[in-house]
Amino acid sequence: MTNDLLTIAGREFRSRLITGTGKYASFEAMRDAVAESGCELVTVAVRRIDLDARGGGEDITDYLPEDLLLLPNTAGCETADEAVRVARLARAGGLPDWVKLEVIPDPRYLLPDPVETLRAAEQLVADGFTVLPYMLPDPVLARRLEEVGCATVMPLAAPIGTGRGLKLRDAIGIMIEQAGVPVVVDAGLGSPSHAADAMEMGADAVLVNTAIAHADYPVAMARAFRLAVEAGRTARLAGVMAEGEIARPSSPTVGLVTQP
Amino acid sequence: VTATCTVNGREHRLEPGETVARLLERLELGGRFALVERNGEAVERAAYGEVELAPGDDLVVARPVAGG
Repeated sequence: MTNDLLTIAGREFRSRLITGTGKYASFEAMRDAVAESGCELVTVAVRRIDLDARGGGEDITDYLPEDLLLLPNTAGCETADEAVRVARLARAGGLPDWVKLEVIPDPRYLLPDPVETLRAAEQLVADGFTVLPYMLPDPVLARRLEEVGCATVMPLAAPIGTGRGLKLRDAIGIMIEQAGVPVVVDAGLGSPSHAADAMEMGADAVLVNTAIAHADYPVAMARAFRLAVEAGRTARLAGVMAEGEIARPSSPTVGLVTQP
Repeated sequence: VTATCTVNGREHRLEPGETVARLLERLELGGRFALVERNGEAVERAAYGEVELAPGDDLVVARPVAGG
């Protein structure tokens, strides 16, 4: 199990925890939590530079070690064309050719558009990108995304930022059973136990942002998530016991001291 | 008549022969990643020093920020 690596598009990762960099109180807090999480892959968004701020304001990449793989997202894009445009801009400017594909037209629940996501994925794969699509846990859509060449599938556990846990667990379970690429549970995980649960179910990795960034002590919560992901993964490999209907004693039923 | 383009929707007065690299220098945007789109097309970083801006160009300058 010491060589239990996560492989995405031929690249190996020791950590199965991917973190987002959003919503922290400061870049320093983000940097420290990311370091404590042990993650090797972090998401960033892409936005226009504020020309009124000197030098465009602080640069987040100054707070991220160069050996971390940056995963630009297409958050804010509502159509396939917008997502492809953002991904191309990021890659042309020197960011990795990996993209967390998000096509989200719905601001209330931030649910992704499956049709536009599939369209964008097809285009981006054809353009040579390594595509990690954010999606509703739909096993059929997962198959389609895999067929067009996506490197992972990333089903949401619950809506982004809600911390409600594995609300869509059964559909995620079917995806895990059927997927030929890593399944990364992304969004909605609120506590380390949710992450451990996802890993015990057989998820290949989880992506966490708000639950760490909005904790009272983000560094401590980052550690808790790291340990939970390791625990859940180790348990999965160890083989979780089958559930029983009735009790089975753990102590011998013969040789009782009180036996007549 | 001064030649201008727009950068993130704002008017920018062009120097003669101004390249993308010179634009970033003038705007003091020398970060690790300055991402540039010119008239809707992403500009390759390796070409920043060669691509000359033309009057009326519509430029977007972006970069990575915190996000999930």
